[in-house]
Amino acid sequence: MAIHIQSGKNDIQTNPKFSNNIHSMPFKIHADCDAQISKYFLQTPIEKEILSASFRGHPLLGKEIQIPAGYRGVVLHETMKPATEKEDRKFYVIHTFDKFKYWNWEKAPSKNDPLVQAMDWIDIAEALHSPVVEE
Amino acid sequence: MESKNDELLEISNLETLDNYLSNMDNSKSNSYISKIPEVCKEYPCCLGIDEAGRGPVLGPMVYGISFCPVNEGSLLVELNCEDSKVLNEKKRDDIFVDICKHSNKIGWAVEVISPNKICNSMLGRSKYSLNQVSMDSAIGLIKAAINGGVKIEHIFVDTVGPADKYQAYLKNLFPKYKITVENKADSKYPIVSAASICAKVVRDHALQTWKCKEGHEYTFKEFGSGYPADPVTKKFLADNVDVVFGFPQLVRFSWSTASNILKDEAYHVEWEDIENEAPSPISNSTITSFFKMTNQKSEKPLNTFFSDRYLSRKVDL
Repeated sequence: MAIHIQSGKNDIQTNPKFSNNIHSMPFKIHADCDAQISKYFLQTPIEKEILSASFRGHPLLGKEIQIPAGYRGVVLHETMKPATEKEDRKFYVIHTFDKFKYWNWEKAPSKNDPLVQAMDWIDIAEALHSPVVEE
Repeated sequence: MESKNDELLEISNLETLDNYLSNMDNSKSNSYISKIPEVCKEYPCCLGIDEAGRGPVLGPMVYGISFCPVNEGSLLVELNCEDSKVLNEKKRDDIFVDICKHSNKIGWAVEVISPNKICNSMLGRSKYSLNQVSMDSAIGLIKAAINGGVKIEHIFVDTVGPADKYQAYLKNLFPKYKITVENKADSKYPIVSAASICAKVVRDHALQTWKCKEGHEYTFKEFGSGYPADPVTKKFLADNVDVVFGFPQLVRFSWSTASNILKDEAYHVEWEDIENEAPSPISNSTITSFFKMTNQKSEKPLNTFFSDRYLSRKVDL
């Protein structure tokens, strides 16, 4: 199975307003729909770089994470998921972002979080796979 | 940000109370203590503690204390301090205003524990019960009175849970004072009734002046008393579900009345397990299995660097 990612319109620009509204939440909402984030998801800075918020009464602590330089976050849309695993899948880029907020359930985001650590791979991949240039 | 002017923040009647309540950040806990009457610093005092709004599914829980010199006990009777539950709203408001008028003899303090704070405690990583929230609040208020210079002699508390346990707990924290923890203390001791009236009036006014931070313009008439059995409250909850976020922070999500409605009306949310899944035991293969022919290619597992970071290979290159 191959996956195709296509940027639909000619090179979508990163919209700062959109970047402010990307959240990684410590739970799964069994839905795929619009959410009234700016109305309901109230965030207060509590200490350096750390934000607090609540979701359905649960206390959350969050932090803004920048996408490393040279990379971009993308929001993909799949019109129809193929019925079998063998078929190719097609995704369209509908938004791009350069930062997002990462939230934990009553635990300040730190280097111990897998998602924060995952960013390490970008540097390591760079070191491992970038072409060797002879000087 | 508005400038904090102490003169403006003094609560001396219902108007200044409403003003205080509508200006506070209602996603947090807010405490207020009246000026400490000079006589309370000089003469031994009794101090009563009670709470209001423990049961409702909406709005804050309010803890209240009141204190006055032991020899001024007759004043409380004169002010008709009785159990706040047997008084109607108007009567409670009147007595509260009278208590404020006697600020040279009676002092009081309240902590308005926001519904958001209550849910955050009950739905946190480590469970923190409503009883613990209540006790912490009571202890905080006693300490505020002590720090203010009140010469406490005897503390009267309306019980939260078993009276003897709570009494022993408080005695341990405050060994210098006489402590009486009793069921229905608010109908037995006028100083507890006074605390109960302060708490109840503040709770009622907090609901009446409640402004949803989410921007909803609900009024007190639309959400009712907040008691789960109140038909107005029931209808309010049923009619105001957001399928993703549930309710505004006015609602106590940790109440079954609220969570049952969300179970039926809102999208299901799956939280991470509090217990880390136990690592799967290493499968012990028998020694003979190594000599068996299999056509399964053993897949090389990814380095733990990747699995620790939840990274996996999605596409074969």
